[in-house]
Amino acid sequence: MSPSSAGRAEKLGYTNIKVYHDGLPEWTKKNSMVLTPQFLKVAFMDKDIPHVLVDVRSGENAKKGFIKGAVTMPVAELAASIVKFPPKEKKPPIIIYDQNDGSDGKSAARALTAAGYTSVSVLTGGIDGWLKAGLPVQTGSLETNIVYVPKLRPGEMAIDDFKKIVAGAPADMLILDVRNRDESGAGMIKGAKNIPDEDILDRLAEIPKDKKIITYCSTGVRAEMAYHKLKEKGYAVQFVNAKVEINGDGKYTIERP
Amino acid sequence: MSRTRISSMAFASALAVGLMILPLFPALAQEKAALPTTTQAKPTMAKICGNCHTPEQGSFRGYFESVAYKTQSIQIRMDDAVEILSFDKTALKVQNVKAENPDEALRSIKAGKEVRVQYIEKDGKKFATLVVAKPAIKVALDKQLKTEDVEKLVAAGPEKGKYMLIDCRPAPKFMEGAIPTAINIPFPAFEKNIDKLPKDKNALIVYYCAGVT
Repeated sequence: MSPSSAGRAEKLGYTNIKVYHDGLPEWTKKNSMVLTPQFLKVAFMDKDIPHVLVDVRSGENAKKGFIKGAVTMPVAELAASIVKFPPKEKKPPIIIYDQNDGSDGKSAARALTAAGYTSVSVLTGGIDGWLKAGLPVQTGSLETNIVYVPKLRPGEMAIDDFKKIVAGAPADMLILDVRNRDESGAGMIKGAKNIPDEDILDRLAEIPKDKKIITYCSTGVRAEMAYHKLKEKGYAVQFVNAKVEINGDGKYTIERP
Repeated sequence: MSRTRISSMAFASALAVGLMILPLFPALAQEKAALPTTTQAKPTMAKICGNCHTPEQGSFRGYFESVAYKTQSIQIRMDDAVEILSFDKTALKVQNVKAENPDEALRSIKAGKEVRVQYIEKDGKKFATLVVAKPAIKVALDKQLKTEDVEKLVAAGPEKGKYMLIDCRPAPKFMEGAIPTAINIPFPAFEKNIDKLPKDKNALIVYYCAGVT
C-alpha cells in the first residue's frame, strides 16, 4: 500500500517522497508505537480485544486515578518484573502509560521492546491525556498480576476450524480469497473463490447469501476488512486472522500473525 | 507445430486482405459467437486502473485471465466484464515479461496479473497486437528509508525534521498502534485526503504500511 501511495503522491508533483519499505513489522522490533486515549478506548476496550495495560507511575500516584484494567508496575521495578509478562511469543499488545507521556513511559517501553515484545505502545499524553479526553478513571488498588488470555477477535475463525473446512469442503460454506488477483493467481486455497477486498462491494452479486462465507488473505488484515463489509451486508461471515502462504498446487501453511 | 505455423501464416494473410477469417478458424468463430455482443457500455478498463490511468482508444486495461492456443485468443477481465481477443502470434508483442518468444511470454503471465492490451479491430473482431504486463511496483533504493532513518526523523519531530509521516494501513489497524508522529491516510482513501498533504511540493513525505503488502 505504501509504494502505491508514494506513486500517487509523485504524480501530484511531490518531489521528495520516500518509502519506509520495511514498515511497521521492522519498526516494532526495536521501537514502540503510540496510540491516543480515544484509540485505546475504541480499538481495544470497546471491542474487548485482549491487551496488557500497564500503569508505570508510582503505586501511590496510580491509586489516585487509573484506567480500568491497568496493572501497576512502577517504571523503577519494571526491568525486574518482565517475567510477569505473558511470553513474548504470544505477541501480546502492551500499552503503557505514565503521568503525562514523559520519560517514564518511554523507558518502560524501551525495556519491553529490548526484552523482545513486538507490540508495545505508549499512550499519548499519559493519564493526563486520558483525563483531558474526558475518559473515566478508577481509584483504589490496582491489579499487580497480568492476566492475558488471547482470544479470537469478533468474527475471527479459529485456525483449526478453518483447516477442517478446507479439508471437508462443506457445500454450505464458501471460502473467499480476498487477496489481489496477482496473488491469488499464484495459488489459492482449494475450492476458494477470489474477489479482492477492494472489489467486494461491487461484486456482491457473485457471493451467495445462502452460504457461510469465510474470508482469508495473506496476513489477516484484508480478510478482516472484507469480513466487516460482508457482515454489514447481512452475510453470515467469518475471517481467518493469520498469515497464509499458498503454493501453486493449493498446499498451504497458516500461522498466527 | 508445422500445422500451427501454416495456419498462422494463412491467418496473417487473411488478416491482410480482411477476408476469409471465419472459414479458416471455425473454433474461434464459434467461441466468439457464444459471447455476448460487445456494446459501448462494456468497460474497457478495470476500476482499480482508473486510479492512475484514463481509458484509451484501442486498448484494454484489466486482469489477464487466460490464453487459449487452440483458438489463439486471450481473455482479459475488467471487473465483471470479460473480453476475449484473438491474436496472431507472429504479430503479437508481449512486454515486461521474461521470455524468449510470444508463446512463452503469454504462458508466463499469471492469471490475475494486471495488463494493458492494445488491439486492432478487423471485421468487428478484436485482435490483440500488444500485451504489456504491469511492472512490479518497485521502490528505487534512493527512495527507501531504513528503520534508522525513520528513527532519526521521529526523534527530531515533524517540525525540526521537516517531514510528514503517513501510515497507509486501514484505520482500525492504525488505531491499534502506529509509529510516533504518523498520520493515517489509508491507500484506498488517497484521493479523498489530498488536502492533508503538505502545501509545499518539495516537502519530505514518508510512507509506510505493514511491510510488503
